Formats: sequence, C-alpha cells, structure tokens
Amino acid sequence: MIIEIQVKNLKKKYRNGTEALKGIDLEIKKGQFFALLGPNGAGKSTLLKIMTTLIKKDSGEIFIDGINPENNFSQIQRYIGVASQENELDPNETTEAILKFQGRLFGMTKKQAATRADELIEMFQLVSERHKKTAALSGGNKRRLHCALALVHKPKVLFLDEPTVGMDPLARHTFWKTISALNKFDKVTILLTTQYLEEADKYASQMAMIIDGKIHFAGDVADFKKMVQPDENLSLEDSYLSYAKSFTKTENNQQYEYGK
Amino acid sequence: MSTASKILVIRGIVKLIKQPAAPLMGFVMSLFFLVVYNAGIGGIGSMSEFGNGGYLAFIFPITIISLAMGSSAGAGQTLNADMQSGYFKRLYLSPTPRWILVVSPMLADTLSTVLFSGVLLEIGAIFGLPFQFGFLSIIGILLISMLWSITLCGFSAGIMLRTGQHQSAAIVTNAVFPLIFLSTTFLPRELISSKWLLAVSWGNPVTYILEANRYLLAGTSPASFFYISIIILITTSTLSIIFALSSARKIKI
Repeated sequence: MIIEIQVKNLKKKYRNGTEALKGIDLEIKKGQFFALLGPNGAGKSTLLKIMTTLIKKDSGEIFIDGINPENNFSQIQRYIGVASQENELDPNETTEAILKFQGRLFGMTKKQAATRADELIEMFQLVSERHKKTAALSGGNKRRLHCALALVHKPKVLFLDEPTVGMDPLARHTFWKTISALNKFDKVTILLTTQYLEEADKYASQMAMIIDGKIHFAGDVADFKKMVQPDENLSLEDSYLSYAKSFTKTENNQQYEYGK
Repeated sequence: MSTASKILVIRGIVKLIKQPAAPLMGFVMSLFFLVVYNAGIGGIGSMSEFGNGGYLAFIFPITIISLAMGSSAGAGQTLNADMQSGYFKRLYLSPTPRWILVVSPMLADTLSTVLFSGVLLEIGAIFGLPFQFGFLSIIGILLISMLWSITLCGFSAGIMLRTGQHQSAAIVTNAVFPLIFLSTTFLPRELISSKWLLAVSWGNPVTYILEANRYLLAGTSPASFFYISIIILITTSTLSIIFALSSARKIKI
C-alpha cells in the first residue's frame, strides 16, 4: 500500500514551555480510515494543526502524498480537507452561499461551485436549510455544513478533529454514512480524532495512541485490543480505558509510565 | 489578481455594503466638516492668505482626511468578524495566499473610501469647488485618499489582529485626530500666530496632505507639498501593509 501521510520525529514546543509533541513517527497509508486517540492534551490537535499547516513544527518531517506541506501550502490545501472541532462558519451567509463561496476559493467556476454545493446539500441532507443563514441553523446542521465545507474541493485526505461533537444520534448516523462511503468508494484517506470511541471502533481500521506527546501504539485497531486484553473480546472503548488507566503521571519527571 | 483574491475583495465590499456603519460614519463626518465649517467661518476665505480658492477649497481637504479616518475605524471589521466566528480559519485552510486574507478587507475599505471621496468631490464641485488641473486634480486627490486610507486601514487592521479586539482599531483614528488640530487644517500658516504650533505643523504629515490637496484644488500651495505628501503616503502605506501582514503572522489559530 502506498504511504499517504508520513511523519518523522516531529517535535513541537509552545512558547509557554509545553512540549506538545516529543518526536512523533507515524505512517498512514492511502485509503485508510485512521483514528488518532489519546487523552485531552496528549498532542492530537497539535499534530493535526501541523499536518494541516495551521501551525509550524519545531523539527521533524511531514509528507502528505510525498509533498512537504510547509513548502507547498497551496498544493496541500487542495489535497486535504479539514473539519475541526469548532464550527467555522460565516454567520451572515446562507448554507448555499457559503458552500458556493468555498468552491470559488478553490478555483471552481461559478457553475462548478453551484453544482458542487447542490451535491453537498443533498449529501448532508441540508436541503431544507439551503436558504437559511448559518447563524439560524441548529447545532447539528452547523456541524454537517462545517463538514460539507471540508469536502467542497473533493479532498484526497480528510482530517476530522472531533467531527461529531454536538450532533444528535440521527445526524451522527447520517454523517458517518457519508464519511464511510467516501472512504470506501472514493478511497479518501481519513484521519480522525475523537473522544467517541465507539465511532472509532466502528469505522477505523487503524489507529495510533498518543499520550503526552508520544506515540504509544500504532497499528490495527484489532491488534490494539489484543495487546491490551488478549483473552477477551473488548470494545475499543474498554481497551482504551484499560490501557489509559494503566498509565500514571509521575510527580517529578512528568512522564507517563505504563503498568504503574 | 487570482480569482480567489478577487472574490475575497468582492466579499469585503459586499460586507461593507451590508454593514456600512463605518464608511457611512466617515462620509457623514466629512460632509459635516465641509458644510459646518464652510457655513460658519467661510467668510474668512475672502482674506488674501487663503488665496483665490476661497474657504471651500481651503477646508475641503479635511473631508478627505476625515473620510479615511472614519472608514479605518471599521478596518478589520470583516477580519474581526471572521476571527470571532472562526470562519477566518476556514479561509486560512484554503489555497489562497494568506496575505490576501489580510489585504483583501483592507482593499475593500480603501475602495469604499475612494468611492466616497469621489462623492465628496462631486458635492464640492456642485458648490463651486475649483480644480486647478481639471481631471488631473481629481485623480491626484483620489490617489492621496487611497494612500491615506491604506495607511490608516493597515495600521488599524494590524492593531486589531495583534490585540484580537475590534475596538482597538479605533486607536489609529484617535492617534491621528490630534494631528488635525496640529496642522494647517483651519487656517493657513500665515495666520497661525503660535510659533510652537507652526513648528509642529511642519513636522506633521497631515499638513503635507492638506497642502497637497490645496495645490491640486486651488493652486494655493507649492507643488513640492504634493510630491512630499506622495512620498510620505507611499512610505506610510507600505509600512502599514507590512505591519498588517506581520500582525497576521501572529494570529493564533
């Protein structure tokens, strides 16, 4: 399988002294549905922000489809789609207008942008919300529109950072149906961070566990479960909890240690 | 200019049309200056120190100055709204060069200022405003208006980006406001009796902008003022763009 995302010895320290990433190595192959898991503050969002060119790394290397995002920012933005934790919507624009504008930003003609907006409105079941201003949308519909915006330019890699926060069960179901279809049929590589582990369990085939800025496990979801509890058929959530609980933060050196 | 850049500028203009408070405030303030001062003390324009342009040609340049001041208070309005809503991050993740995200709302503000300057010139012309060099005078005044607007918008947007507070964009307007009174806004140099005020007015860039306009309108100031003011404005507008762009690099996403 061809490597889609390659991260080598990635480090990031914030100005306040927080060492968010302490040498991350990661490989994600084309077409994989990959879950990046870990507790709050583990470094997941920092890693995603660096990958998507929102912030700069201190050292290390990243390649997406063999391209260094830092040197080819425009090319990378056309290749990836990002749906982050917060809704990034212009409250004064309608659902349709904001989708069309997004298409135009990615170089589509007016006609292409309108067609794509129609497709996404259908896909994310936003037909009745088409002419509503985004400020008037419900929380779930805002999230759907937010994710639709990430797909306007048909990205090959989709970064989903806690994408279903605030969605009701029905909206979540529709959302995952759409995303898993993109992964299955369009071979879009998905990198997901989520605290809803049942979602990662259901849709992701590969995962990485990041704790305190380091990768503790990277591989098949099934292998992670086996590693944690070889004899039992645990859910990912149970395996995650069992694994995470086995780590304690030592008082003096601020390191996580397994098995204490 | 790329399509994305164009549509971002157009978006900035549309936003200004939908929320026109800042440019309209600048326009109304300028018109107020023009009407009130011309009506109130316009009679002194017959004094020889005002030249042959009368008080209207003398006081008109302050409308150009104040117009951009009003508009610049709204500079960064679009930027700020985008940052508050999080939409700026969405734009940031587009293939559009990031400097355009900062410059495009500034351009929209500047275009609006130039447009309103044109309206003020028309109103002035109706009331008998002279144009020493005809159409070239109009072009010259619009050029000054544009560069002055870029200067104020750039610094306002930069400060707003650094502080993250839209209200702080008004700092520039507040800083420039005293400069109006420390220059030849209301009286020609010959009638300013205070030596310190006269000295300060020579070091005040607003004086050169006012006198450059007067050169173009009634020819009552030497041409050198026009050239000096253009050099000053090109320098300040360049610095303001650099300031705005460097501020954009400090945005926390």
